Amino acid sequence: MKTRITYLQPRSSPFSAEQAILEKEALRIRELEAAKEVRVTVGGDETGDELVRDVLNSAREIHIRWANAGAGTGLKVDPFGSRVSAGLHVGYTPRDGLEGSEEKGEGICRLLRQLFDKIIQCENYTESFTSQSSTYQFYTALPEHTLNEYITNICRGDGPCATAGWDRADSIDLDYDVVSGTLIVSGYWSQPDNADGWTEEIRAPSNNRDRVEVGLLGTEKAVEAEEIKMGGLLGVVGVDEALKPTLFSFPSRHHVLPPQATFSVSFPQPTGMHPTMTISLSPAALEYPAAPEDTTCALHAYLTLPSYIFGDKYQLSTTDPLFLDSHHLVALRAVSGATDLEAPDWFVSHWGSNWLLELATPTDLPEEWNVTVPLHLRYLRPSETGYRTAGVPWPVVFWACTAEGGTKMGVNPFDRIHLGWDGLFGPRTMFYQVNPDGATARRVEDLDVPVLHLDKDGIFHSKAVELGTVAAIILGLLWVLWKLGVVARSGSPRPTKEKKSQ
Amino acid sequence: MSSKMTSFFQTPSLVYGSAIALRVILLFYGAWQDAHSAVKYTDIDYLVFTDAARYVSQGVSPYARDTYRYTPLLAWLLLPTTWSGPSFLFAFGKALFALSDVLAGWLIARSLVSAYGMDAPRALKYASVWLLNPMVANISTRGSSEGLLGVLVIALLWAVLRRRVILAGIILGISVHFKIYPFIYGVSIIWWLDREHDGSSTKTTPKPTTSTILSFITPPRIILTLTSLTTFLLLNLLMYSLYDTPFLQHTYLHHLTRIDHRHNFSPYSTLLYLSAAGEVQGNFESLAFIPQLLLSVIVIPLILAKKSLPGAMLAQTFAFVTFNKVCTSQYFLWYLIFLPFYLPTSSMRRNPRFGGIVAALWVVGQALWLQQGYNLEFLGLSSFVPGLFLASIGFFAVNVWILGVIVEDVSSS
Repeated sequence: MKTRITYLQPRSSPFSAEQAILEKEALRIRELEAAKEVRVTVGGDETGDELVRDVLNSAREIHIRWANAGAGTGLKVDPFGSRVSAGLHVGYTPRDGLEGSEEKGEGICRLLRQLFDKIIQCENYTESFTSQSSTYQFYTALPEHTLNEYITNICRGDGPCATAGWDRADSIDLDYDVVSGTLIVSGYWSQPDNADGWTEEIRAPSNNRDRVEVGLLGTEKAVEAEEIKMGGLLGVVGVDEALKPTLFSFPSRHHVLPPQATFSVSFPQPTGMHPTMTISLSPAALEYPAAPEDTTCALHAYLTLPSYIFGDKYQLSTTDPLFLDSHHLVALRAVSGATDLEAPDWFVSHWGSNWLLELATPTDLPEEWNVTVPLHLRYLRPSETGYRTAGVPWPVVFWACTAEGGTKMGVNPFDRIHLGWDGLFGPRTMFYQVNPDGATARRVEDLDVPVLHLDKDGIFHSKAVELGTVAAIILGLLWVLWKLGVVARSGSPRPTKEKKSQ
Repeated sequence: MSSKMTSFFQTPSLVYGSAIALRVILLFYGAWQDAHSAVKYTDIDYLVFTDAARYVSQGVSPYARDTYRYTPLLAWLLLPTTWSGPSFLFAFGKALFALSDVLAGWLIARSLVSAYGMDAPRALKYASVWLLNPMVANISTRGSSEGLLGVLVIALLWAVLRRRVILAGIILGISVHFKIYPFIYGVSIIWWLDREHDGSSTKTTPKPTTSTILSFITPPRIILTLTSLTTFLLLNLLMYSLYDTPFLQHTYLHHLTRIDHRHNFSPYSTLLYLSAAGEVQGNFESLAFIPQLLLSVIVIPLILAKKSLPGAMLAQTFAFVTFNKVCTSQYFLWYLIFLPFYLPTSSMRRNPRFGGIVAALWVVGQALWLQQGYNLEFLGLSSFVPGLFLASIGFFAVNVWILGVIVEDVSSS
């Protein structure tokens, strides 16, 4: 097991040597103002119980991303700028030859229920996941996770891995691939758990197979636009006698935009059955990013929509400039998942759908720029209030800059891929993340969806609706039959009568 | 009626000219609105048809387009909309549907003259209920294919009234292939097509010696049955050989297994929502076809067809739509097309005040429902129960009452 802990100090905050004291058995951190990343790497045989090992063995790759919906967290900082929508995202690639085998298909769902929450609605990857080429994807809104137990378990004891406070993390990633045979668990905390900063003791591992690396870093201005330059102190706890100064730079896939480059999401009331997602962008968010000169950039939004809300792919993939301009959209670039236009929610087995939209930007910067995405709601199950709440996570909004030639992204120790949206671009694309507006408490919008009101104790309970319908149909039928009967009885002699009179 | 109005209907070119002009204006207006507003005049269904036609032009199945639930014939007919060339080619289908409207109106007028002995101006006046109806022109020019079905159904009636049995059989086969529901007309036509009506005998009374069953089996009835079944089967075999299961699934089976129950005018709508969600134990909605088919396929044809074939077809269609599990406003066109045959002898025309009440109730019934639908769709209010439920039952009651009036009127015509 290898644990890597990175403290990332903002440029403005001071640092003195007493804040990080490396002793023989531990590193003491005191009141350190920083964002933190903890990355734990374990071998395939250390990944826990039989179920976990079975599922990992049947997979070629598994990439799990969980992000907190709360906005009480701070800003993302370079090089940890990338985001996913709030909730649990799973990317799953079954091993060749095992694809479609029913038992294994259910395994990944059992794993999710065991690791995260027992009530996750997931049958197997063929029915519940959506597919994008050879990868299967799943999403569920999961405000809180129960990963602590699992991670503490694989950490075996009370090392820095076990005491990291995973339940307070802004985001957690789990990555497994068959080539490396290792499972990597990483967490990101944008702010210390204490107002005074991080104060913790990082102890050396109790056996010499394990390793604990710590970095206290800050970013500096890089020479090349695509690069991030980092400097600070590095050390291996229990091995090194002192922290060593370091300075290095690397090309980075993800970059953050300035804090004033923000977006917020709302749904104008009344939302009805056809809510319109409104993405409001600040002027700074619309400014062309400081990307390398040979790149072309475009603003994008990546929507993660649970099955009860969906876009009409035919409506959104239109090339009609009037429609697109009126919504400040350029084009629908990619869509995957459940896009059936008619089925009620409880008949949709897939978790939902993903939409990559290219957004229009104005030529001169206005105070605020709204992009609107027309969406539709499915019928949900009846309820006793007549309404059901449907949460819609905020999308991820970013500038994507594609380079003609450019650098490969291979040598970044903090790189992050498999976010759902990054794979829709070429390998040399750089992303500049627009920050979700911090003033809003949650990065999930709750919609009130009107459903059939189950009037359990009132006049219009289900039985009454049933009987009322039956009664209306039977009475209607009898009325028409009676009219026809009258006609039939009086009708037969009539033709002769009429003929006589003619 | 003023003399000006009378002279208008005495000049067929004026009536047809107006009908065509109305549609041409709407086509141009639609093109203008589509080009200048993000809110489109063109119906979503038209985009489904033209997308399907584009798939066909690329050698792909039209069912590659989601929600294409029609015969491939429709996509084939709209192939010109996929041709590269001037942009007005895109409106080819709309023009075709609008032209079908006018053709249907012309056939209505011809039938009124030939089968009812009406004078031409009077026939044109009644045909104008369809020809100059803004709702009909609007629906066609927005690109809904109902006009195509209208002309098929009226051509069927015209062919039967002219005793062109083979032609009638072919048209019936095509119509059923197109939209299933015209099969109900097969029953009334066969029942109507007795020796008195089939043109084989001038005798008004059948020979009492022949057994009823044998006398029922007449050559025209056999020919009609065989030609319609053959046409229907050949078309389906052709489409099945080309497009396989998706053709069967989307054109026919979908209607049996559909799980979408977005609110609609049908009285079953609320119950279907409840039962799809597993909230009711009963399974009544699966028996919904019984009252519907009992009326539209058995009782109405038997009692009304020989009194007035178009009257019976109107009553059948009205019953079919009213008792259907799904009902949207374009289904109303299915029976509106028979109004020119019904109105001349109807109590609604004899007593305009009564006619006004009937029309008002029909409109108010819809308006109340639309109000609840608006509350749901746009205001997001939970108006399923009691709002939409009561509104759809109310509209059903109005329709059933009107059906009773139609039955009385048709039998005394």
